[in-house]
Amino acid sequence: MTTSNTVNRARMKPSITDSRRNIGREMPSLRQLSWVVARDVNRTVGGGNAAMELLRRTFTAHGWFDDAAHGVIVAVSRLTPGTNILAYCTAAGWRMRGWRGSAVSLAAASVPSSIVILALIAVVTRALQYRIVQGMMAIGLLVACVLVFSSSWALLRPYVLGPRRWRALILSGAALALLFAGLTPVRILLLGALSGFLLPAGRSAVSGAASR
Amino acid sequence: MNVLLVYLLLVKATMTSFSGMASLPQIREDFVQTHHWITDDELSRAVLVGRASPGPMGGYVVAVGYLAAGPLGAVAGWLAMITPAVLVIPLLATVQRWLHLPRVRSVVDAVVIVGGTLLMPAGVQLARDALIQLWRAL
Repeated sequence: MTTSNTVNRARMKPSITDSRRNIGREMPSLRQLSWVVARDVNRTVGGGNAAMELLRRTFTAHGWFDDAAHGVIVAVSRLTPGTNILAYCTAAGWRMRGWRGSAVSLAAASVPSSIVILALIAVVTRALQYRIVQGMMAIGLLVACVLVFSSSWALLRPYVLGPRRWRALILSGAALALLFAGLTPVRILLLGALSGFLLPAGRSAVSGAASR
Repeated sequence: MNVLLVYLLLVKATMTSFSGMASLPQIREDFVQTHHWITDDELSRAVLVGRASPGPMGGYVVAVGYLAAGPLGAVAGWLAMITPAVLVIPLLATVQRWLHLPRVRSVVDAVVIVGGTLLMPAGVQLARDALIQLWRAL
């Protein structure tokens, strides 16, 4: 699927919507994009955070976008109602290939898993009674857990290792404290956004790069 | 069974939640307690399937739609799952248009930091669930 031919064809047809932002970047073909999204989203269990990390690795490895753009898309998808990973895939597809890219990404992320869910609904309760199935599920969750921590570090690293690390550490500590105090993640995110609005930190190496 | 109503109730739940499983209380209220279309046991099965399947955790709404209204209900569930994701495009376009402003950059940076931080407790919870499940399986 990921042949050089498809990449070359995609390079000949840059996205109209994102043409200025994507100058100098190789963009995937729609087929390649749908394959990558379907593969990475549908090979993890335990939620979308692990899938986001797999997608980040794939997108950055191909040079389709960088960690800064990933961070912005993650931030926006977390503030979008519904399932975060679907919003992430839609936004990533839109950024790379415009409206068609977003439609293809959304379908690739949601259709295969929906078919699996329909196939499983009749048998899963019986199947999960077997210890071997439970064990395989647990191992799948452990792998997802490693990916979640990796995703967390990928998002925090530029800030924690950057010049304004104290600001990032204070914000992180406050977020954890609010979570343990019982606030929902959405409210904490909104409070974080409010703090960013009230206390602008000047030029950021991270989202500043994403805007270019 | 009115499939359109199934879709509208499911989309109400997905539109008013900000993660895959956060729509569960609303769905339970509408489908189990108000309309009695599914039972608590069936809802638990749907959640179990959503958790056991690869892909988004929010996929359990497809199973809820199927249990409530058959194959067309499953399609309604899928549509309800993907509908909110479309909102990300105008949101991202707006953010990117204003990202050169220090305040907007600062807001995005803060949300990225908070979002990255909140992943850690989620990861710990996932690890705990996995270890408990592994212990039971052994």
